[in-house]
Amino acid sequence: MSRDIEAGASRVRFRATGFNPRANPLAAWGSFVVVIALWQLGSSTGFISELAMPSPVAVASALWKLIISGDLWRHLSASLQRLFGGWIIGTVAGLAVGFLVGMFSWARSPGVAMVSALFPIPKIALLPLFIIWFGIGEPSKFATIAFGVFFPTVINTFGGVDNVARNLIRMGQSFDMPMMSIVRKIILPGALPTILSGFRISSSIAIILLIAAEMIGAQYGIGAFILAAGNLYQTDQLIAGVVVLSLLGLCVSWLLGRLDRWLLAWR
Amino acid sequence: MKSSWLKRSAVAALVAASLGGFGAQAAIAAEKINIASLAFVSSAPLFIAQEKGYFADEDLDAEITFFQAAQPVAVAIASNDADFGVTAFTGGFFNLAAKGGLRVIGAQLHEDAGYDGSAILASNAAFEAGLTSVDQLPGHSIAISQVGSSFHYMVGNIADKAGFEIDSIEMKPLQSVPNMIGALKSGQVDSMIIVPHIAKPLAASGAGHIIGWVKDYVPYQVGGLFTSQRNIDERRDVVAKFVRAYQKGVADYRAALLMTDEAGKLIESDSTAEILEIVHKYVYAEEDAKTAYPKIRNGAMFITEEARLNVADVAAQVKWYQAGGFVDASVDPASFIDTSFIPALAE
Repeated sequence: MSRDIEAGASRVRFRATGFNPRANPLAAWGSFVVVIALWQLGSSTGFISELAMPSPVAVASALWKLIISGDLWRHLSASLQRLFGGWIIGTVAGLAVGFLVGMFSWARSPGVAMVSALFPIPKIALLPLFIIWFGIGEPSKFATIAFGVFFPTVINTFGGVDNVARNLIRMGQSFDMPMMSIVRKIILPGALPTILSGFRISSSIAIILLIAAEMIGAQYGIGAFILAAGNLYQTDQLIAGVVVLSLLGLCVSWLLGRLDRWLLAWR
Repeated sequence: MKSSWLKRSAVAALVAASLGGFGAQAAIAAEKINIASLAFVSSAPLFIAQEKGYFADEDLDAEITFFQAAQPVAVAIASNDADFGVTAFTGGFFNLAAKGGLRVIGAQLHEDAGYDGSAILASNAAFEAGLTSVDQLPGHSIAISQVGSSFHYMVGNIADKAGFEIDSIEMKPLQSVPNMIGALKSGQVDSMIIVPHIAKPLAASGAGHIIGWVKDYVPYQVGGLFTSQRNIDERRDVVAKFVRAYQKGVADYRAALLMTDEAGKLIESDSTAEILEIVHKYVYAEEDAKTAYPKIRNGAMFITEEARLNVADVAAQVKWYQAGGFVDASVDPASFIDTSFIPALAE
């Protein structure tokens, strides 16, 4: 019997491996190195003109100048305050509305309708209104980011609440648990994975909106820096600013990864 | 044999001309040029040259393409989408000129002590709180369009010449002129610098107060006429023809819009009405003549004779932008100014 199986195994290759891409950090970094090397080669040989795309060396030196002059920290601290403040406001409001929409019929239809109508509006188009409402100071910058963060947070939150196992909620209700207890002990943990993955989207949206938020009346900030570099056709500084934004995105994503592991450790 | 062929073609040309086909034939012979410009009074010499046929006289078939902002004009020349451009100098322009092979060959507006140019405005709230003269600007905010724009330079130039630090003024980049006006009207910024045809009506309507003029801090070469190095290399004769036609336009502009009496007040000359009519076709075209003409006259800033460029001032501007880090240190004004078509303005 066992010999038969062994004989069969030797004839038929194991085919059901599935698509199982493995993580390879070396290849991840290698791809960056290859692209940058090719880019530098193109710039050095003159195949890519300095006007069309600055060389990686020029970008690196622009970045270095930004660091040693101390301007980077000034820009970063201004931007981080706006990002953090705007994101917190948008997230808190989004979570509150999301839970209401997910749990109560009276909030459901109006909430979903409003979100569907307002989410696709490019917030940058509303910038003149934000300036009238909130002025050209910090509040309009917080508002731009908060509005951008609010809608995806609402959608993810009520999506997460919808996916919580109904029988668990019903069980809580049959045991006559108080409402706050049900929310805290059943709905919140159940919806958390979806909410956290929503954070990844909303934090990226916040970074994207930083440029729009810093268009008006911002002397410092990474977005303002990138805009100014674009206006001045200082393309090396423009790319340096974009690199900073991209690194910022990576940092935020790493932090959210840690948050994920910490909050979802119970799984 | 040959002479009879010439005769025959001459007859043919005459027939064609009498049939009204002459214009079409001339257009085929003429060299095509594309001019990038803004629909502002500052580009009026181009419109005059076009409407009065100065380009056609030089066998140029000129087409004017309009842009919304100064920098796209420079980009259009750098990318060879247009042959000639006229706009204000900005930090971005100088960077692009050095990298993209632009060559400044003549002048656009120039601030002159004898003519009203851009004005420095204070908001009502700031004026009442004591911002009544330029030397009180330190500690106040000022609206500019963008970092490294001509507005930014004007603030720096005034700060240098009035003797205060530019860092003592808070710059508020608001991206566009309408935003700047809105912020001043609502008192969200204390001050701004703006062209005369906007400044004067704003002050007259009580939306702000004029506290000074940029002309008190001259010299200031506001903008220039430029083309690409490729055009100069490959079509030098066309550039020379274009420059001649542009200079005729400048001469008409000066004769019609810059005539003054002995007291230095602007007066009407014989050609004022004609030139206003031409400019009105391009600038404020949607408004009727009664409201548009005063705006055009208000906006008609000084242009040097023969469109001569103040080379020394352009070099000084580049230096200022470089000191602020807005223009790359490697940019050399001599590399993008070409005075072989129009001599530089004498010091």
